[in-house]
Amino acid sequence: MNESKKISVSQLFLERNQEFKLKMVAGEGGMEKCFISSMDIHRPGLALSGFTGDFPSDRLQVLGGTEMAFLKTFDPPARRLAVKKVLKLNPPCFVITKGTKTPLELREELNKAGIPLMVSRLSTNDFIHFVSDYLELRLAPETFTHGTLVDVYGIGLLIVGKSGIGKSETALDLVERGHRLVADDLIRIWKRRSLLMGEAAEKRPAFQHHVEIRGLGIINLYSIFGIRSIRLLKRVEVVVELKRWEKGMVVDRLGLERATRNILGVDIPLLTIPVLPGRNLAMICEVIAMNHLVVLRGYHPMELFDRELKKLLENKIKVAREVEEDVE
Amino acid sequence: MKTLEIVIKNEIGLHARPAAQFVKIAEGFTSEIWVTKDGMRVNGKSILSLLTLAAEEGSMLLLEADGPDEHEALEALKKILEGDGG
Repeated sequence: MNESKKISVSQLFLERNQEFKLKMVAGEGGMEKCFISSMDIHRPGLALSGFTGDFPSDRLQVLGGTEMAFLKTFDPPARRLAVKKVLKLNPPCFVITKGTKTPLELREELNKAGIPLMVSRLSTNDFIHFVSDYLELRLAPETFTHGTLVDVYGIGLLIVGKSGIGKSETALDLVERGHRLVADDLIRIWKRRSLLMGEAAEKRPAFQHHVEIRGLGIINLYSIFGIRSIRLLKRVEVVVELKRWEKGMVVDRLGLERATRNILGVDIPLLTIPVLPGRNLAMICEVIAMNHLVVLRGYHPMELFDRELKKLLENKIKVAREVEEDVE
Repeated sequence: MKTLEIVIKNEIGLHARPAAQFVKIAEGFTSEIWVTKDGMRVNGKSILSLLTLAAEEGSMLLLEADGPDEHEALEALKKILEGDGG
């Protein structure tokens, strides 16, 4: 589902022409037909110089200061030829930065090929920075999952489990304790470099931050708890799986096991919490978040406990021996 | 697993009441129920998800049921979506 993600040049232009200070200068006819399908950008200097192997024709092509200076060194017919050669590789569009004047041959050839050419008044670095963020927003690998995403002490906990297990009630309890709900039920998760970001799959603000509590129906957390109880976006850092307790269920009794859940190729810590009557799940979630913070700082409580225990056991043997040999 | 395509006939679309009824019926089956609209696939036993789909009159939904009572589940759910009550 992610491989096929792409955006048309016309979408990019419509959504960001002001922010990126873009002007369309040639190849307008191809706006709807040319698609960018990679989050990375490419600077086609090498291709313009004649080497066209391994050309990434799914990427937006940036003509920065170096490329434009290089093109200037050609006489017009040679310039036309170099451009033509690159156009044969079918890139989706070109952006010239720093508001540089466009050579006539470039405009003509792009018009002929129907490949859009834009000029940005931003510096090359700024443009690459902004456009990469934008392409990531539109093209990042994403997945939808059922669960509840809560910010607990700054840690994004994704609470998952079968329907009716108490995810939403736990979230409600957490909000009551001053934590913040990102979304309940259907969560969109996407990858930002090696991080996972989560938000409500529901984009319309009027429908966000609603929680279904069995017996009450659907309630709006924002209307009850106010602005402090919600946030729109949070990094997903720990998965908490609620599981109905069954006899014979194997659970981690020490906290030495480090289970993970793989989401979009990223492994994040997974804690499986057996649900039993009378368990305070919100409090457990708070402790999970705090423990995660502690572990992040390099302090692993159970490993330390184990180390101390081993020390003690060694000492005990020594002490026992001393006591045994201590005959008055 | 069984699947079924259905067109919403209710003239307001899949609003709160029919969605609630859908979930009520869906929860009665042990099969897993999934509903897909425009590529968005949600749990058919979750009222919030179902409402999030905002399925208008005439929109096409793909129902999936997976489990021992999948056949009966689809039959029962079809009735709700195709009925114009609610």
